[in-house]
Amino acid sequence: MLDYIIDLVIIGVSIGMVYGLVALGISLIYSGLDIVHFAHGEIYMFGAFIGLTLFQKLALPYVPTLILAIILTGLLGMFIERVFYRRLTSGGGGYTVAGMAMVVSGFGMSILLQNIAFLIWGPKALPFPVPHGMPIEFGDLALPMSYVWIIGTALVLMVVLNLVLKKTMIGLAMRAVAYNKDIAYLSGINVPLMISLTFGVACALGAAAGVLIGPINYVQVQMGVGILVKAFAAAVVGGFGSLPGAVLGGVLVGVVESLGAGFISGTYKDVYAFVLLIIVLMVRPAGLLGVSIKMKA
Amino acid sequence: MSGALPMLAIKDLAGGYGNVQILNGATLNVARGQIVALLGGNGTGKSTLLKAASGLIKPWGGSITFDGSRIDGMRPDAIVRRGLVQVTQGKETFPGMTVEENLLLGAYVVKDRAKRTTALERVYDYFPILRDKRHQPSGGLSGGQLQMVCIGRGLMSSPSMIMLDEPSAALAPQIVMGIFQTIHRIARDGMTVLMVEQNVRMALLLASYGYVIKDGLIHIEGPSEQLIDDDNVRLSYLGGTVANREAKL
Repeated sequence: MLDYIIDLVIIGVSIGMVYGLVALGISLIYSGLDIVHFAHGEIYMFGAFIGLTLFQKLALPYVPTLILAIILTGLLGMFIERVFYRRLTSGGGGYTVAGMAMVVSGFGMSILLQNIAFLIWGPKALPFPVPHGMPIEFGDLALPMSYVWIIGTALVLMVVLNLVLKKTMIGLAMRAVAYNKDIAYLSGINVPLMISLTFGVACALGAAAGVLIGPINYVQVQMGVGILVKAFAAAVVGGFGSLPGAVLGGVLVGVVESLGAGFISGTYKDVYAFVLLIIVLMVRPAGLLGVSIKMKA
Repeated sequence: MSGALPMLAIKDLAGGYGNVQILNGATLNVARGQIVALLGGNGTGKSTLLKAASGLIKPWGGSITFDGSRIDGMRPDAIVRRGLVQVTQGKETFPGMTVEENLLLGAYVVKDRAKRTTALERVYDYFPILRDKRHQPSGGLSGGQLQMVCIGRGLMSSPSMIMLDEPSAALAPQIVMGIFQTIHRIARDGMTVLMVEQNVRMALLLASYGYVIKDGLIHIEGPSEQLIDDDNVRLSYLGGTVANREAKL
C-alpha cells in the first residue's frame, strides 16, 4: 500500500515538474510583461516536436537534443515576441496597455502555431522513443528512468534560472524591467531586448517541459491545449506571477492528480487539479505564495 | 549663456502625452559644470522636459543637443550611454532588491566590473548611510534614503550630466539640507546638474542659473541672484519675502 502511494507521488511529482516548467514560463512572462500568454501550450508542443525532430532526423543523443530544443524554441519565442506581439505596443505604453489585444493575439498565435505544426509534422501522435535504460529499483519499487530525468532536469533548470536572476547583471536587469520599465530604461538597460529575453527564457522552459514529457506521452499537435489549462491551475495555486509558486503549484497539481487517479478513478483525472484550484482559491485567493514583489527569484 | 558650447541645449522643444501638448517650444541651455534650476508650478512641463531629454517620451518638435550631438528621439538607454542620466520624481527603486543591487543596476552600461566597484565606492562616499544598508532590500528604506539610492543609481554610470526631478519632494527639511549639500558636492566634483525644484529658494541658492517655465514655455530666465531678486519670481514662488542671499550651503 505504502509502495503504491510512493509510486503515485513520484509519478505526480515528475508530471508536476513538467506543469511547473510551463507555469514558470507563464509566470515569468506575466511578472515581466504584465501579460498572460495564451500560446504557451503551443510553445511547449513546438519544443517537443523540435526535440523529436532533432532526436530522430539528426540522431542526436537525448541531452544535446534537450539543450538544442531549449535554445531553438527560446529563439522562436524571441522571434514571435519581436515580430508579432511587439507590434501591439506601437501605440505606446508597452505591453501593459496592449492588455486585451495581447490576450487575443495570444489565442491567435496558439491557433497559428497548431496549424503550422500540423503542416510540418502531421496529425498523428508520434512516439518519442528515448532509451533511458532500466528503472532504478528500491526494494519493491521500480522507478522508471524517464521520471528521474524529468525531476533531475527540471531541478537543474530551476536552479540555473534562480542563479541567473539573482547573481548576474542580465538577471538583475530582467527583474528590473519586471519592476519598473521607466526606471530600468533610465538605468541604461535596453528594455525591449530584456523583454525579448524574458520571453525567450519563458519559451525555453516550455520547450524543456515538452522534450521531457515526450518519452512518457506521445508528441502531437493538440498536446499544448491540455497543458496550458494545467499550467494555469498550477500558476494560480502557487500564486500567479510567483516563480517559486509556479513550481510548487505544478508539483501539487501533479501529485493531487496522480493520487486522485490512483485512488478514486483515472476517468476524472483532469477534475482533481481543478478541485485543488477551487479549494486554494477559497482559502487563499492570492495563491499559496501570492506575491506583491515581482519576479521574485 | 556665453562662450563655450553648452553641455545640454534644448531648442523650441514641443511635446506631451497622447493628444495633450505640454511643452510649447521651450528653449534652455545648461553650461558644462553648472548647476541649473528649472522652476515652475505644477503641470507647467518641468518633468515633461526632463523626460523628453532623457528619452522617456519622444519630443514632437524642436531639438535636444547633448555634448555636441542630437539626442532627441533616441532610446533612454542610448542616452544614458552618452552620459546623460535622469533621476525621476517619486523616489522609485526596485523594492525587492538590495540597496547594492539597485545601485549596480545604475551601472548596467558599464561592462567593466572594476569600474562598477569604483563607482559604487564613490556613491558610498557621497551617501555613507547606504554603505551600512547595502545588503538590505530597498523597500524598507526611509524617504531620504530612497532618494539617496535614486541619486546614487544615477551616478553609477559616471555620467557627465545628471537631471534631478524634485530631489527635495516629500522630505523633511533637515533631510533636504543634507541632500542639497551632497548635490553641491557632486557638482563641485565636476558634474553638470539640471534640477527641477518646487523648493525655489533652496534651488536658486544652489544653482548658478535658473529658468522659470510656464505653460510649456520658458517664462523668465537669468542668473540665480537676479531671479531671487526678481519681483515676478518672488511673488509667484518665493512667498513674497526676500530670500537670504547671504546664506551659503
